[in-house]
Amino acid sequence: MSFIPGLGIVRGMALTLRRFFAPKATIRYPEVKADIPHKFRGRLQLLYDEWGTLKCETCFQCAQACPVECIDMGGMDTKGRYHVHWGAAETYGERREESALRRSGRPVPDPAFVRFAEIDPAPLEAILEEHDHDPARMLAILEATQAAYGHLPVAALKRISEATGAWYAMIYGTASYYRHLRFEAPAALDQAAEVAARRPAEDDYRAALDASLSGRRPD
Amino acid sequence: MTAVARAWGRLTLPGKVVFTVVPLLALLVAATVIGIAVFGGAVLDILAANIGIVRFVLVATILLLAAPPIAFVIIYLEMKVIALMNLRIGPDRVGPWGTLLSTVHGLKVLMKEDFTPTGADAVVFTWAPVVVFTASILSALVLPFAPGLFGQDFSIALLYFFAVGGLTVVGLLMGGWSSFNKYSLLGGLRAAAQMVSYEIPLTLSVVGVIILAGTMSLDRIVDQQAGWLGDWFVFRQPLGFLVFFIAATAEGNRTPFDMTEADQEIVAGYATEYSGMRFGFFFFAEYINVFILSALTVILFFGGWHAPLSLPQIELALDPGSLGIGLLFLVALAPVVGTLLLGAPFYLLRSATKWWHALIIGFALFNVVVVLAVVAWATISFDWAAGLVWVLVKTFGFVFLFVWLRGTLPRVRVDQLMGLAWKWLLPASLLNLFVTAAAVVLVGG
Repeated sequence: MSFIPGLGIVRGMALTLRRFFAPKATIRYPEVKADIPHKFRGRLQLLYDEWGTLKCETCFQCAQACPVECIDMGGMDTKGRYHVHWGAAETYGERREESALRRSGRPVPDPAFVRFAEIDPAPLEAILEEHDHDPARMLAILEATQAAYGHLPVAALKRISEATGAWYAMIYGTASYYRHLRFEAPAALDQAAEVAARRPAEDDYRAALDASLSGRRPD
Repeated sequence: MTAVARAWGRLTLPGKVVFTVVPLLALLVAATVIGIAVFGGAVLDILAANIGIVRFVLVATILLLAAPPIAFVIIYLEMKVIALMNLRIGPDRVGPWGTLLSTVHGLKVLMKEDFTPTGADAVVFTWAPVVVFTASILSALVLPFAPGLFGQDFSIALLYFFAVGGLTVVGLLMGGWSSFNKYSLLGGLRAAAQMVSYEIPLTLSVVGVIILAGTMSLDRIVDQQAGWLGDWFVFRQPLGFLVFFIAATAEGNRTPFDMTEADQEIVAGYATEYSGMRFGFFFFAEYINVFILSALTVILFFGGWHAPLSLPQIELALDPGSLGIGLLFLVALAPVVGTLLLGAPFYLLRSATKWWHALIIGFALFNVVVVLAVVAWATISFDWAAGLVWVLVKTFGFVFLFVWLRGTLPRVRVDQLMGLAWKWLLPASLLNLFVTAAAVVLVGG
């Protein structure tokens, strides 16, 4: 069978001809958009190379880029030396720095990473002790934290995540769900009058905008 | 005046030639037309007395004018077909289905800087692409595209074809040598070695056809294949056709034998130092060569302008001349009615279509319909039109085959290339020659 000369060429040409008529998967993006669910964000998948080794080097770039911080990872580096596993998915800027330090042996500052402000941990520790470090009582913890600090600082959320074992992303989700919880300090009281004075002008502008758009909202 | 002199000084040598020859040609054509109009029969008599020269000039002009569009079509085919075979979509931005992309590529090449490297032999460097291109065009001169539709019909047309086609090697060597670049020189020598090696099996493989046909005139070779599918020479010369096709692939610098100017590699063989339109001419010549070799394959082995089956003669029931004044109304009304009728569905069925969009679509469709109708009418009414259609259909079939091969096969190594030519194709073509000759002697063909 395989001794017939030219058979390989014929089979190859048959393959290309099948490909020629095969449907193409390309989506002409700006004109045609794929019909995907609204909240679809792609599927996380770890790829293996041809030797069956994980291609992931735990560089944390994906975790750092993830908008909802849902990516967490653990594993060995490429030389199989380090078993890395980071606890709660949280400050990936820090991890990026640590990861870079671990790989290169010298600190590699990441200019995009802004270190969050430190807080006085004493009131928070008291609150956590009072609620028995129970993640099921998260709302009460968050409310008490906001009462103590005036808002929910990132450092406090990180400490709550560490102490209760709940993922940072879930704590963040809980905190951002309730209207009365806030992540930034409220405006000073003497600004209230100024904001109130600005409100009629803003309402006028919005009404004018609605009128000019004649009810249609830009996407 | 100085501006004109400066512009003239900036032109390259081909530019100067073109700027001189094109107005001269235009002048000649205008003078001929005016001469015919004024002096009437006398000029026609002179032209008829020199029909050979007139025919040569006319056909050379037509071939030169037709070469870029043909090259554009083949380049587009190549981009699109290989893309589809790679499961891509390919060009789809410029023009409908991306059909204008190759034309835009041509314009881009025109606008690029035409650079001559320091130390290059400028004259030879400039003339090399001209020699390659001219060799292709001149070899196309003897190809009969339809009954009576050829430039010249020598009794030695086939010999002429291979002789002039062999001039391509000179152009490639000129390009490689004059570039002042060792890689170009090596590429040129490699190209020359390949072309010379493959010309031998290419030429020997058609000797069988010549023996069978008893002539080297391409016109009469096609005539010998009249009839149906079984009369084509490919069925009497299968080995000859195989050798011819493989050698033609190498002769046209096509994958898997495109060592001489492998597109994907950085050092493009003899064309390393070429840029702008001089490179473009090499490129054009390659694609024209693909067309010409396909046409020659069709003419030698696939019956030229003969249909595979004898089709029933269709007579047009309606003679347009009998309509009288009605014909005038038809010519005046048909575009309007056709545009409206073809545009109406788009306007009526899709509410987002603006009326003038629908009109434009209708007009474009009307043009397509009219062109198809004219081609169909010519095919039915004239022998030469039907022959041209058949030759073009078969030729582009072979162009598709060349592109298909390129989309499938990897490039061979240079020693494999030479080994195939000398160890396999040459003995095979000799065997084919001897068997054919023996058969003709025995049967008494």
